[in-house]
Amino acid sequence: MFLIVCPYCKESRDQNEFSPAGEAFIARPQNPEELSDDEWSDYVFYRTNHKGDHWEQWVHTNGCRKYFLVKRSTISHEILEVAAFGEVTSENPS
Amino acid sequence: MRLKNHKSDFIDQSEALSFIFNNKSYKGYKGDTLASALIANDVLFFARSFKYGRKRGLMGSGVEEPNALVSLEIGGRYTPNLKATEVMLYDGLSAVSSSNPNSIDFRALIKPLHRFMPAGFYYKTFIKQKVWAMVEDSLRSIAGFSKAPTEKDEDVYDHIFHHTEVLVVGGGVAGITAALEVLNNSKTTRVILVDERAHLGGELFNEFQSDDTAISWHHDNLSKLLEFKNVANSRLKIFSRSTAYAWYDHNYIEVLQTNATGESLISGVTQAARKVLHKIRAKEVILATGAHERPMLFETNDLANIMLSQSVRRYLNEFGVISGKDVVLYGNNDSIYSTAIDIKNNAINCKVIDIRPSGGESETVLKAKKLGIEVLQGYAVLKAHGTNLVKGIEISSVEMQGKKWRLTGPSKRLNCDLLASSGGFNPVVHLDCHCGAKTFFDEDSQAFLPQKVRKNRQVCGSISAIGFWKDVVIDAKNKAQLILLSLGEIKKSTQDSMSKNYLDYYNASQFFVPIEILNRPKVFIDMQNDVTTLDVALAIREGYRSIEHIKRYTAMGFGTDQGKTGNINGIAVAAQFLDVPLSEVGTTTFRPAYTGVDFGAMAGREVGGFFDPQRYTTIHDSHLESGAEFEVVGQWYRPWYYPKSGEDIHQAVNRECLAVRTSLGMMDASTLGKIDVQGKDSREFLSRVYTNAWMKLAPGSCRYGLMCNEKGMIIDDGVSTCINDNHFIMTTTTGGAASVYSALEMWLQTEWSDLDVHLSSVTDQFATVAVVGPNARNLMKVLCHDIDFERDNFKFMQWRPGTVCGVQARVMRISFSGELAYEINIEANYGRYIWDEVALAGKPWNITPYGTESMHVLRAEKGYIIVGQDTDGSMTPMDVNMKWILAKDKPFSYIGRRSFSISALNSDDRFQLVGLLTKDAHVVLPEGSHIINNKGGSIGYVTSSYFSPILRRSIAMAQLKGGLSKMTEIVLVKIVQEKQGLKEIPCEVSSSVFYDIEGEKVDGNE
Repeated sequence: MFLIVCPYCKESRDQNEFSPAGEAFIARPQNPEELSDDEWSDYVFYRTNHKGDHWEQWVHTNGCRKYFLVKRSTISHEILEVAAFGEVTSENPS
Repeated sequence: MRLKNHKSDFIDQSEALSFIFNNKSYKGYKGDTLASALIANDVLFFARSFKYGRKRGLMGSGVEEPNALVSLEIGGRYTPNLKATEVMLYDGLSAVSSSNPNSIDFRALIKPLHRFMPAGFYYKTFIKQKVWAMVEDSLRSIAGFSKAPTEKDEDVYDHIFHHTEVLVVGGGVAGITAALEVLNNSKTTRVILVDERAHLGGELFNEFQSDDTAISWHHDNLSKLLEFKNVANSRLKIFSRSTAYAWYDHNYIEVLQTNATGESLISGVTQAARKVLHKIRAKEVILATGAHERPMLFETNDLANIMLSQSVRRYLNEFGVISGKDVVLYGNNDSIYSTAIDIKNNAINCKVIDIRPSGGESETVLKAKKLGIEVLQGYAVLKAHGTNLVKGIEISSVEMQGKKWRLTGPSKRLNCDLLASSGGFNPVVHLDCHCGAKTFFDEDSQAFLPQKVRKNRQVCGSISAIGFWKDVVIDAKNKAQLILLSLGEIKKSTQDSMSKNYLDYYNASQFFVPIEILNRPKVFIDMQNDVTTLDVALAIREGYRSIEHIKRYTAMGFGTDQGKTGNINGIAVAAQFLDVPLSEVGTTTFRPAYTGVDFGAMAGREVGGFFDPQRYTTIHDSHLESGAEFEVVGQWYRPWYYPKSGEDIHQAVNRECLAVRTSLGMMDASTLGKIDVQGKDSREFLSRVYTNAWMKLAPGSCRYGLMCNEKGMIIDDGVSTCINDNHFIMTTTTGGAASVYSALEMWLQTEWSDLDVHLSSVTDQFATVAVVGPNARNLMKVLCHDIDFERDNFKFMQWRPGTVCGVQARVMRISFSGELAYEINIEANYGRYIWDEVALAGKPWNITPYGTESMHVLRAEKGYIIVGQDTDGSMTPMDVNMKWILAKDKPFSYIGRRSFSISALNSDDRFQLVGLLTKDAHVVLPEGSHIINNKGGSIGYVTSSYFSPILRRSIAMAQLKGGLSKMTEIVLVKIVQEKQGLKEIPCEVSSSVFYDIEGEKVDGNE
């Protein structure tokens, strides 16, 4: 049961209020029709399932309903960083 | 028996309590546990064992007790599998053993066969031989612990949330000291102290007899704690009789507090919660959970009155009871001498058998010898004699040769009626390991100790192998200082040093015993699950090496024991048979819960009506008055059908459907999910999330849309209405509203933040009354005068604003039945009013309210799918024969589109939606029935199936492999018919549109 600081509400709240929404920084391809089946499945199905520090999306379901970014250690479950979309984060690829 | 002249701080001899155990009456005193009261009454048998049905007595005195499982009370207060050692006595208590030791037991009758029932017996004998199904019921009925409750729980349970800076788990010397040190050195830090026993002090009470400084220390420190507690806005909370049973991520700890057991509530406040589940978030955690003693191993070590040494000591000192007159203490560490001294001081005969050789004795040992206690050093117990109850023991001299014990002499017999053993101590590391921390084996203390460093956590006291209580005080202060430092309350911590022999009590010599003993039969490691040393040996012979596998194969450490008394010995036995060091074997994984937790406590108040939210439309009361039956759809209570007196569901649905098809029906459609979509990019947004085109939908029009996910699978459908170019109202399925809304928000927020679109859920803001049937237009003309209802002026899939019975409304001409239909949307508060007005005005046409069941029949007659019933998350629009709804020329590759061209989604043998017409028109196929091929294998299944009143025959929709190319073929559907058993029903594959195939009815009669 994590404690998560919502970057919009600026409050540390119980995990009950949030829902996970998958790995972060997986952009929808701009040109799906031009991709091969393999490239498309890569986007739809394949995730890194990373062991260690991991960026993921969460949504404050029972709060402000905003999606945001969470960097979490998948080993210790420590939450290392939270960010709103568009905010500069330590490892934002864009 | 209870000692006459014993003075106890816990037992109030002025208050006698009567209670019943296994149908016999006894008396005890206030302050007793059920276990101590029974010892006082010389009751020594508590239960039969799990597998062999052996009679068992007490082994421990608290949460570690493996044998004495009892169930309390009857009826709505019945509680199974409580430990007699943890049940506080109250007047009128009634308990029975989980398995009565005094009755005849099948498991005990087959005693000669027990040696043929080792680990894996049930699997090898029954499951592998494929006869399990025949014997399962009878085997299960004789095995197991207490019977499960059958009645509704009468009691209430609470959940309370807490936030604190420091949580101290364990209220012994370490916990008390740590809590006080934190409170004394900070003005703001909040502290919660939880302890599983009724009185704070832990094992310190055992020192009271021989150490006056222990008494004064306890008195002083407890009053200091109370000073902190008994002030306004106290920073300190103390929970007694509370067990921290789980530690989850981010220092979230769950604590179960027992306020009362069984019927003791009746004598108090009846509405008080029987148990409270405290949900605690702590910045820092101090673990002062102590240690459990482990027993020594020898043959038939499970006889009654073979107990743990510290437990015997506790019963004696705290409760003034003991279950023998001729006691033998046996062990490998000094704690047995402390127990012996206390026993001797109460004028009871006792001897000490120490496996360690003589020489280098500590003060405690010398003190015992000085008191005249007979001490045999360098001896091991080989076997306990007696049937059910211990009568004597067989011992032999032993010697450490290299790193292994060996028997050196002939055996001899000693008589005794109580054997108390100590094989050392197992630190209670369970909680610390729940979040993945590891233990390590410490050679000095011969114990698995908690991981040395962990963030925001300290351990103190005997959990880190510190035995003597004065050293524990120093250790706890040191650790509390580190906590204060971590909280920033102090700048620098002070650390005092402990005495040289702080490992006293833990100076267990290696806790292995001679292997000759382990090779004997009936050397029980785990009493609760009847696991013996030979079971472990067998597991190893059969190739198991990992302790996790050995545990599962033998069931060692299962049940309520969870590795408290049995596991560490089991690990040692495995190490000995494998001939590897203990550290190499390691421990099994500790997981929540540390001890049994009542389901009632987990549920708390979220039972009955509070289990799940219940949603009602604003028209609900009218449905109740009409006598509707309801079904729950995504938390909504929807009218299912409206039976008239004497009607069953079939008759009611028949009447409702025919009314809609021939004249007029009305339905409450308020529960459909509604999402208000606004912004100048709303059209573009709809085009991206629906498969069809939306750019040209004119204001005043509606359109049906099918929504897929990126995998190309259907997730929702519904009609969206164009209010104006920047404003649409999307409807979703009743159950899908929340997930669709969430998915749409995700696209907007994470991918398309450039779109000017705003979504609001408006499901609850509107009530919707559907008016359906050939006479719908006639009725609407009566209800509303400012809308032109003429067929060509208000077409199908259009909407008009207007005033219905004086209320502003949006009237949509959409249909889920194929009939002429209007949906009147009004502000939710007018729902009931409009419903009643419609019902009144519709009387000339015999307007008939209908529920979801008729709605399903009517839509199935037209072949309209229900997402989630006819589709299951693996269906594409092509699979449900809706290729027509896939736009080809939208510039944006809408959600799911790319997946439609993946070859796997275009294969011919995918499940495809078809209609099924049974050859015998009266056979209604049960939904879920399988369509079978000539080998009997499944090639599809029925998703919707009804008897159609208008067609007077059964209709069904089904997912059939390659179904769309099997039209008019005959397939077989396997069903179970009452009295006739399995039958194969021949059906013709058809289109899934059964009624009004040309779609002529939608415009009504004119």
